[in-house]
Amino acid sequence: MTNAHDNPSEVEILRAHVAELEQQLAEQSRATNAIVARSQEKLYWLERWHIDLDRIMAKPGAVPALEAVKKLRGGVRAAKKAKRRLAG
Amino acid sequence: MSADKVTSVSIVVPVKDGARYLPELLAAIDAQVVSDAAVTRDVLVIDSGSTDDSVAIARAAGATVLEIPAAEFGHGRTRNLGAEETTGDVIAFLTQDATPLAGWLQAIVDGFALADDVGAVYGPHRPRPDTSPMIARELGAFFAGHGDQDAPNGVGGARIQRAGDLDWLSNVNAAYRRDCWAAVRFDDLPYSEDQAFGAAMLAAGWAKVYHPGAAVAHAHDYPPAQFARRYFDEYRGLRATVGHVEPLAPRRALGDVRGLVAADRAFMRDVGLDAAAQRRWTARSLIHHSSRKAFGALGSRAHALPPAVQRTLSLEGTVVTSAPDLPATAAAAAGTGAAGPKRGTAVPPLRLTPLWETIRRHAREGTTPLLPPSPDGPGDEGPLHIAVVVPPFARGSGGHMSLFQLLLRLERMGHDVSIWIDDELGNMSAFRPARIRRQIRDWFVPLEAPVYKGFDEWFGADVALATGWQTAHSVAMLPGCRARAYLVQDHEPEFYSTGAESHWAEQTYALGFHHLCGSPYLEAMVTRYGGTSSRFSFGIELDTYYTRDTPRETDTIVMYGRDSTPRRAVPLAIMAVQELLERRPQTKVLSFGANYPIYTPFPYEDLGVLTLDELAWTFSRATVGLVLSMTNYSVIPQEMLACGLPVVELAGVSGEGIFGEDGGVTFAPFDPVALADRLEKLLDDRAEWERRSAAGREWAQGRTWELGAQQIEAGLREALRQAHSA
Repeated sequence: MTNAHDNPSEVEILRAHVAELEQQLAEQSRATNAIVARSQEKLYWLERWHIDLDRIMAKPGAVPALEAVKKLRGGVRAAKKAKRRLAG
Repeated sequence: MSADKVTSVSIVVPVKDGARYLPELLAAIDAQVVSDAAVTRDVLVIDSGSTDDSVAIARAAGATVLEIPAAEFGHGRTRNLGAEETTGDVIAFLTQDATPLAGWLQAIVDGFALADDVGAVYGPHRPRPDTSPMIARELGAFFAGHGDQDAPNGVGGARIQRAGDLDWLSNVNAAYRRDCWAAVRFDDLPYSEDQAFGAAMLAAGWAKVYHPGAAVAHAHDYPPAQFARRYFDEYRGLRATVGHVEPLAPRRALGDVRGLVAADRAFMRDVGLDAAAQRRWTARSLIHHSSRKAFGALGSRAHALPPAVQRTLSLEGTVVTSAPDLPATAAAAAGTGAAGPKRGTAVPPLRLTPLWETIRRHAREGTTPLLPPSPDGPGDEGPLHIAVVVPPFARGSGGHMSLFQLLLRLERMGHDVSIWIDDELGNMSAFRPARIRRQIRDWFVPLEAPVYKGFDEWFGADVALATGWQTAHSVAMLPGCRARAYLVQDHEPEFYSTGAESHWAEQTYALGFHHLCGSPYLEAMVTRYGGTSSRFSFGIELDTYYTRDTPRETDTIVMYGRDSTPRRAVPLAIMAVQELLERRPQTKVLSFGANYPIYTPFPYEDLGVLTLDELAWTFSRATVGLVLSMTNYSVIPQEMLACGLPVVELAGVSGEGIFGEDGGVTFAPFDPVALADRLEKLLDDRAEWERRSAAGREWAQGRTWELGAQQIEAGLREALRQAHSA
């Protein structure tokens, strides 16, 4: 019976595979850090003012209010579009 | 590390029927001036069912008013609410009859700048003009014991109080750093929530500051009969809370009263009352202290009095029907119980979480093994993921500035850096990661690294880097690391008097890390503890620190006067300057590094805390710098040298190994006369000054942060090599 240690080429292959996985892990951690840093840059003002959008949207009436705003926005857009058409 | 800068103060005033003093109080807040115009303020009045004009007065003065039902009021609860409803860096609480005096807000801001760990600042209560001499004297005597007794003004200067000091605190006039309040919060107690907070914050490692300038006019003054009834209530409460029973001992009481009246009369003479007024107030004093003794003794035994009598004697009009459950000693003193084993007071947990839990966990679980060696080798080349574990920080922290400068260069060298805030004591509990990251970028350097709080999202690293003793145990337990290293900027056990903290700090040097030391002195220290080490040098921002275009004064010394940092030996520096001034009275003295004047026996120009640019201008203007360090060398002398300013430092500590024996820095023994000698020589001997100045400038060239970062990188790779070969 043989094992990997008896076969230099198989050891080399395994080593190369481990090295490849190590490389992937390093790239993954680099990408993770970059994504987290980018999102923290965007989240700053929400965190600065302690605004938790999940908590706000979980409140009763929050979703209907958002829908109402969307509809209102749709109406305004439609009105602007109509105005542009009428103005030629 | 220096203190966080206060940028906003929220003033919270709980009110119920406070119309008498409220207009005056709100006007006094409005009139406060702060030297830093960027400090904003807002006022929140919390009204709990006033029937007078309090709400209208507050609104008319522009305060935000929050109305709550009277039944919801609680001293601790309502103040927590006030803190939650405001956003200032600092929350200042005043009672409705406490009018801030001129300089109150500036003193609060100054108080927080005294040290990094200051969580609260409080000030004295001064008598109002119509306050009786008895109360005025008692107030003065009480607060005289809170300040720095060496201060020259006779009432005590600002004083930092830490665990083991006085834990007294009063919400009549106290301001809290938001993160301190968030970490401790007020207990929901019927009274004395401020006292409980004072004890809890000191136990949690925070400091508080008594600042004599943060004064309010506040005195409880009543007609004689009301005073007597108030003392009845007060002593009844003292029995309920601490078991104090005022003895019924007429002869002793008579002696006490005589002494108190004599003290009042001396006070009346001191304040210049005329003879008629003295006679009138002496009579009042006699009544006041006698009634206090009598009504105090009755209040201690209120439970034994019929309800109707209690209602008559009590200013609050309340009744108790049974004796409080007294500690045995108090019961014995009251003659109502038998002597026996002492029973203590039941104390509930005062902390939500145990203190230094990481150290206990490490004692239980030990160090987590490193990852097995990489088949790629020990990591001699290529970018590394460096996870840097950082203790909480404040704006202006010198240690963090050096750390972030190095990390910025490591990022630029292609390494992947992540920041992990290890905040076990909750000093930054009010801040979430995105805000902390912005603070690093705004206050220090524009790092790209992400910030994580705690280790819930930990995902391993090539090297985990501890950066202060408080972070070392956490780093020792982090899994998924190829190596661990420890950036040592100072010998931190010396930051503490001998005790648990100093010992734990010492132990961190034996946790098996590879140490990256900022000087030969520190290398020698960690070697003593059996650790391995590499060395790095602190850089100089040569774009900032160079000789500016301003005439060099010929008789000016500039000293680092941050006396809240004991290792800078400011008392010795003051002594040396005094010695120098007796020889050379024409010498001009500048001091920087503290947000408040330091007490010196000579006049000087106080520059306060300076920006980097202002420092460079100051170092270009002065003749000699005086910066002392009793542990690792400070980066300030090297910045002075870069500006062509020769420096005098302490010999035999850490500086010679950095600056050389005979370069820009002149070393002197720990002796005021010897220090004065060196200063005098540099001021009087132009050739010596020129030589030292040139040597300093030459030394500073090439001391860049890039060089320091390369040395750190080499140290990290050495840590990986050691782990690989272990």
